[in-house]
Amino acid sequence: MFENVKMPEGMNPEILEHLMSPKNYGKLEDYNCVGVAMDDKTGEYVIVYSRLNNDIIEDVSYATNGCQDTVVIGSMFTQMIKNNDLEYANGAIQKMHEKLGDLSPQQKICADIVFSAFIASMKNFENLSNGEDEEMHLFKMKDSCESTGKSNE
Amino acid sequence: MNKLYQKKHQLWLSITFASFAIDNEEIKSKLYDFSLISFRHMKWISSNILSSSESYNYDRNMILYKQEDTFAIINALKKEILDIQKYYGDDTLSDRIKTDEKYLLDYIDTILKDDSNNQKITAFNMKRKYPNKELSQEQIDALTIFLFDESYKEYELILVYAYMQARTTSTLQFDVFQDLIDESHFHLKSFGNMMAKLGILALPRELHELTYVVTDLEKFIVDGIAEEEAAKIMCKELSDAIKDEELSKFFDFINFQENYHIELMKKLLK
Repeated sequence: MFENVKMPEGMNPEILEHLMSPKNYGKLEDYNCVGVAMDDKTGEYVIVYSRLNNDIIEDVSYATNGCQDTVVIGSMFTQMIKNNDLEYANGAIQKMHEKLGDLSPQQKICADIVFSAFIASMKNFENLSNGEDEEMHLFKMKDSCESTGKSNE
Repeated sequence: MNKLYQKKHQLWLSITFASFAIDNEEIKSKLYDFSLISFRHMKWISSNILSSSESYNYDRNMILYKQEDTFAIINALKKEILDIQKYYGDDTLSDRIKTDEKYLLDYIDTILKDDSNNQKITAFNMKRKYPNKELSQEQIDALTIFLFDESYKEYELILVYAYMQARTTSTLQFDVFQDLIDESHFHLKSFGNMMAKLGILALPRELHELTYVVTDLEKFIVDGIAEEEAAKIMCKELSDAIKDEELSKFFDFINFQENYHIELMKKLLK
């Protein structure tokens, strides 16, 4: 799916479609875990809602106040992992990382904040399964868009 | 009450984006006037909700359909206006809103009576060709990203400032928020119309409560000033990259407006 991902340069119709209509965007009605990845320096966040049934990601959605790179990567990533199992999702993250060599440092940070939010949602599921009372799991990002010179706007 | 607020929020967006999508300047202008009236309805409804110690949010459940012609947009709008009527009560505000919307429905019927108004809609065709401009692919790509980023940001700012304005007891804050809301309406209108010209008109993403429930005003303002400064840089970069006199002048004009937004926001820190 990510073979042709180049943003924003060389924007193709698939990317444009994700920009115009991000997939799996917004709150999930029937979720059982939530993760947030937050960049404290810029205030950018990604929140991921997942519904896990055993190892299957039955549904997943996300929301962000971030830039369009974050929106597109969130849209593509959630589409990729929806209705697949956790092993597949971990592989998808790895596969995306392999592709990130083609992306700018800022775009890598956008991808990382999406993946981190998803992993945080899995951590939330694990904690809830262990009996913890946790509304959502939060990861603070080490790298910031701010340091790459591109803003959230 | 939140259901009414959600429906009104959606109707405001529907009227606004109908105005952006339609080329006919007279219809566009008239619908935009109604869009601003509808936004004031939202403001008054939110005030009533808070007075009743209830709450509302910015959740939405809507799709901006890629309509083919003006009548399809207008008919969808008519249906939505008729649908929302059942949510109004018998109070003074409801009477005011119903009267406004009755007038809008009459105007819509006037549009529908004249077949010459039914023009093809190009706002969603994804062609990304700016009318009467010779822009390179690189320039179009830069403009595309800018418009998606900024149209979302202006929508976000309108709603976040409105959320805070509804809750402040400070006259200074109320006035500053109103100025910033008015400015963002103008920017959203400008960017939305440009997106329609490029064939990439799309609704801004829904706001999550993490964005609009502000618990630390000072941090919000400091972050907001940083974003305004970044927006200025983006405007300048785009203005330099576009190399079209008319568009460059427009982005320089927007860039200078951001300067004053920063001054307005600094007032909130005092």
